[in-house]
Amino acid sequence: MTATPAGTASTLVIAPMLVVLVAAAGTLLLGRHPRARTAVSLAGGAGYAIAVAAIDWYIVLGPDAPGIATYQVGDLPAPFGITLVADGLSAFMLTMVAILGIASLVFSTRHLPGGEGRSYYFPLFHFLALGVTGAFLTGDLFNLFVWFEVMLMASYVFVAYSGGPQHTRAAFWYVTLNLLASAVFLLGVGGIYATTGTLNMADLAQRLAEPAAYGLEPVPVVGLLGLLLSVFAIKAGLVPFQFWIPTAYRAAPPQITALLAGATKKVGIYAIIRLSFTIFAGAEVAVDLPLPLVDVAITGDSPLPFVGAALFVMAAGSILLGGIGAVGRDSMEGVFAYSSIGQVGFIAIPVAIATTAAGPELRTFAIIAALVYALNHTLAKGLLFLAVGTVRSATGTSRFADLGGLAKRSPPLALAVFVGSLALVGIPPLSGFFGKFLVFDAAARAGSGPVLVLLLVGSLLTIAYATRLWNRSFWGARTDAVEAATVDPVQVAILVGLAVAIIAVGVGFEPVYEFAETAAEAALDTEGYVDAVDPQTASELAGSNGGGH
Amino acid sequence: MSPDLAMVIAAVALPFVVAALTPVVFRVLGEGTGFVGTVVALTSFGLLATQYGSAGTVGLEWVPSLDLALRFYVDGWALLFAMLACGIGALIFAYSPAYMHGESGLVRYYAALLAFMGSIVGVALAADLIAMFLFWELTSLASFVLIGYYTADDSSQYAARMAMLITVGGGLFLLVGLLLLSLVASDVLGPDAAFNLAAMLESPETMQTALRERGLFLPVLGLLAIGAGTKSAQVPLHFWLPNAMAAPTPVSAFLHSATMVKVGVYFIGRVRPMLVSTEWLFLFATLGLTTMTVCAIMAVASTDIKELLAYSTASHLGLMVAGFGFTSVYGAETGVFHLLNHALFKAALFLVAGIIAHEAGTREIDELSGLRHDLPVTAVITVIVALSMAGIPPFNGFYSKELLFEAAVEASQHHDIGLLGWLYPAVAVFGSIFTVLYSLRFLSLFFGERPEALGHVHRPPVTLLVPPAVLALLAAVVSVDPQLAVDAIVQSGLEATAVDPHEMHVGLPTSYSPALGMSAVTIGVGLVAYPSYGRLHDAIRSIPRTVPPIEANWWYDTAVDGLSGEGRVFAETVHDGTLRTYATWTLTATCTLALAGFVAAGAIAPTELGVEVSLAIALVLLVAVIGGVAVATAESHIAGVLTLSILGFMVAIFYILASAPDLALTQLVVETLVLVIFLLVIEEIPERYEVEIGTVARDAVLSVLVGATAFVTVLVTTGTRPDGSSEIARAYAEQAIPRGGGANIVNVTLVDFRGFDTLGELAVIALAAISILTLIVMRDRDGDRTATHDGDELTGDDSAGTSSDGGDDE
Repeated sequence: MTATPAGTASTLVIAPMLVVLVAAAGTLLLGRHPRARTAVSLAGGAGYAIAVAAIDWYIVLGPDAPGIATYQVGDLPAPFGITLVADGLSAFMLTMVAILGIASLVFSTRHLPGGEGRSYYFPLFHFLALGVTGAFLTGDLFNLFVWFEVMLMASYVFVAYSGGPQHTRAAFWYVTLNLLASAVFLLGVGGIYATTGTLNMADLAQRLAEPAAYGLEPVPVVGLLGLLLSVFAIKAGLVPFQFWIPTAYRAAPPQITALLAGATKKVGIYAIIRLSFTIFAGAEVAVDLPLPLVDVAITGDSPLPFVGAALFVMAAGSILLGGIGAVGRDSMEGVFAYSSIGQVGFIAIPVAIATTAAGPELRTFAIIAALVYALNHTLAKGLLFLAVGTVRSATGTSRFADLGGLAKRSPPLALAVFVGSLALVGIPPLSGFFGKFLVFDAAARAGSGPVLVLLLVGSLLTIAYATRLWNRSFWGARTDAVEAATVDPVQVAILVGLAVAIIAVGVGFEPVYEFAETAAEAALDTEGYVDAVDPQTASELAGSNGGGH
Repeated sequence: MSPDLAMVIAAVALPFVVAALTPVVFRVLGEGTGFVGTVVALTSFGLLATQYGSAGTVGLEWVPSLDLALRFYVDGWALLFAMLACGIGALIFAYSPAYMHGESGLVRYYAALLAFMGSIVGVALAADLIAMFLFWELTSLASFVLIGYYTADDSSQYAARMAMLITVGGGLFLLVGLLLLSLVASDVLGPDAAFNLAAMLESPETMQTALRERGLFLPVLGLLAIGAGTKSAQVPLHFWLPNAMAAPTPVSAFLHSATMVKVGVYFIGRVRPMLVSTEWLFLFATLGLTTMTVCAIMAVASTDIKELLAYSTASHLGLMVAGFGFTSVYGAETGVFHLLNHALFKAALFLVAGIIAHEAGTREIDELSGLRHDLPVTAVITVIVALSMAGIPPFNGFYSKELLFEAAVEASQHHDIGLLGWLYPAVAVFGSIFTVLYSLRFLSLFFGERPEALGHVHRPPVTLLVPPAVLALLAAVVSVDPQLAVDAIVQSGLEATAVDPHEMHVGLPTSYSPALGMSAVTIGVGLVAYPSYGRLHDAIRSIPRTVPPIEANWWYDTAVDGLSGEGRVFAETVHDGTLRTYATWTLTATCTLALAGFVAAGAIAPTELGVEVSLAIALVLLVAVIGGVAVATAESHIAGVLTLSILGFMVAIFYILASAPDLALTQLVVETLVLVIFLLVIEEIPERYEVEIGTVARDAVLSVLVGATAFVTVLVTTGTRPDGSSEIARAYAEQAIPRGGGANIVNVTLVDFRGFDTLGELAVIALAAISILTLIVMRDRDGDRTATHDGDELTGDDSAGTSSDGGDDE
């Protein structure tokens, strides 16, 4: 790498991935030494947090921050090598994952599923983080596929981890549906390469914006985007791609489910936002799809209206299925699993609004709404799934039939869950309020009555299942299981820490909003993205030959 | 004089700060914490009193990017409500230690009560829509915690959840209304005013005109009405309030009579100048009078003294809403003055009910009578406040009720509202008759014979008696000299809520007016009908038994229970536990998305094929297709797997013919391995599956759809690039040796140009190895598993179906 002013920033881009990779390898090698394994694991977590914080400050938020930085792997310029890109959007997602990741990691050291013997828990944990981080940072479509695979394999093991028949079955469903998605992903990526001649996302964006200059016929990309959208919807768990969620979320250890809901789900959302807006928004393809049954036509000068229509339908289905399903569950994690389906619908709604927004202002605003809602969901649902872990390790169960009176048994645990539940409902001044407020506001600004009605119905369902869960497990007569419970103070401290974060985000919302705004602007700034990645032509590549070797 | 920011902030923040410190305070003072609450309430009251006479907006920044601020607005209306909350709060805190003596969970009780009081003060003073909403929701939250105080009690849980669902749910509607309001405000008053309620109220006509121009007037009116109506228990969403009597009585006195439920009324009064109109009149006068009448009738049907008071509260809230609904100045006078009067008499009555329950040990109306012998002071208090509730002159409730009658008459005289013109006054009188009836019934608890069954009734301690006595005294003062209260605070409250405020005068009527006639009819009929109270009571009670849907509770139970039950069935119908269903949905949706995308962009019909198909390739592919069909129709698994390998080997031959020998080699290896593994696994699989013909047909259609989608995708994407290879591919060919130092372009791409992908794939392989090890290791650790997961917890709930039927869709 030649010395440039952006040199440090550039190296920072790959830093979080290197940290988790080293942590994964280290914990794998130390498999027989539990203490060292835990120490390396925690050090890896800390290093990851530092790396992400450094990206936040030196690349995105600091006074001299460039806003975006790239790392060309192997010093091979884009689009010939693989490019990693850190911008506001990536940094926002990474920060979210880092906060929850640390909580889940520390939690895991207190409650290691399968006991303290030889275990692959921590390597898997770090590999999962590697996949998520790679997906947020890569600027290459095929490379995105690779990190999806890493995520999938690591989470597959976790779903099957506890080893019972029900876990194996959940894992089988999970891996089957996700492997289908992988095949579809490959088909889509192959199609895009065949159509546009590139896999680099920045290069793709500039080629799609001026297809004639590159001698391309970009018409097929809308269908290909449809294929990719289905893949990302599987990751995000949008209806009708949600089938794996209830069983997989219940089968995985709760602290991992916290990550599945808080982090890998957000990868799907991130990919939808990144591809739809940064890459495909400027594509010069007109769409026109009359839908005679509902008497509307999807029309526009870019693929966005198509994405938007699909997202509206999927989000509406998710909000209703998730909400209605959650009200009838009979265990804590059952409620939260269905709730995750519903909540991701609330995140997808503003994304859909952004695709159909009349002006750039509303588009930015809607994406901010989606990001803030996503942040709240990560914090709140992360907290709640970790709380399921605490309840299970304290009482041995998380079924309502066996629970009751937890509030008096452990007031701090109850308080944390109360805050988490209220954040889901959207009570001010918690982070969840701003999520809900911004999403409602985006719908109001878009002037969409039906969407507002949908959001109202979904929110009412949220109150219904949150209060039901509270009454069934935290109030009521104390059961034998709760009577005999021993609540781990460190686990509760982690939950309280997340609850404090939820409150802090709401009370001190201004900086969070500014970060989300930076992220949303980055998501919409195709030109800045392309300039930063700076795709070269073949002759430029030949001219720079020998520079790095 | 403009308000002092520090004083206002301190008055709002103090209760919250002390609420946060309650655990510490309680550790030191124990049950005496209640008196700390009194001090806090009185301090806030004092801080607010220093602002008496000032008017204006002060505030702190909160989220400047969104123009959100903690703005506070001080005027007569805000001070009236805020000081009422603090004043009655002080009495409630003083009453609590004796009443709640020996209860557990008092930290939670006092913390929630303090936070609750702070929230009310916040709502009263907030001049920012979102700050107002913040405090609004906090009152619902505090209410949830306090109604559910007896956490192990089913009725407490039921009532708490109901209150939360209704009031927080209503809050959502309010939020949407506020957002629409803010959109309009930022349009016409500038972006700074987006959430600035004070700015909107400064230009009420502009706002109303702008709302109407955008067609948002009725939606906003409706949404705000739902928000305020749920909070202030208006029919048909009133039913949470009577259920909320599951809370400890001091809470009922404070939250569910004097303050929280008035938040909705307060807000209606606050936005009244901006939205007042004919639609406003129709909406709120109708809503309020309906609530007033229905709930008064329900109060007559009550069997429990707290239930009676709860319905009475809803009824009086209806009166205030109706008052504000009438657009004349009398309407505003009714709303403001009755807010004060009702707080005084109803808080006192609830505290009396608390004394009765505490000392007599029952709240059943039928079991109580003649209490004046045992509770003489309480009896005196009750006489004053119950007659005030009934609206009997010269008690204070009479004056505000008289104003309602005047407003109703004014509406029928000055508005062309047809049938409603006489209906409004008639309903107001009709509802008020029931008010007289149940007020007398409550009073009768103290008179008549003392029943035998009633055990020993203790004398209440002084701390239980002083708070209601203070309230009764205040009510008496207002009764004797109502103009004093008007001049002190009601007049300035009127100026904030009325469009054309004038000098307000109240007093005993000196000449005949229609309103006086209505009062006379009300009291007269009430007295005449009182002897038939028992029959009336039984008759009303029998109605819901014959027609359950007439009760709002019935609708709630049906909806909430139905939601749980149907939700369960729905989720288990969708997630039926068969992978076949899941894959069908997933694949259908994927294909739909892809094909719709191709159709939308007009990519479905490529002009020409990019490749020519030789006879050899055509033959190979034909055999492959026949192999594919044979797999699907094979008689046994072995035959299926063997035919599957025909298909695989044909693909390998295709690669050879297409000049890709390395791919062909890979394909042959994979194919051989797959064949071997399948043959090993088949032993473990049942020999046959019974599959219904419908399923077969569905699978066949799905297979064709998936195949068609993949085919179309490949066709349209490869048909568009006539030149075959991309710039990148050509560059790789040129650079393989100079940059990668290798003559095999595939190798160089894998390990050099795209080595990072390979790194990731190596991780995948490592993970695959780990997964096998983990599955084997964890299988042996059954003991650990049962320790942390009880055996059936994953099968009982979501995974309703039996094990998957093969996963053969892939």
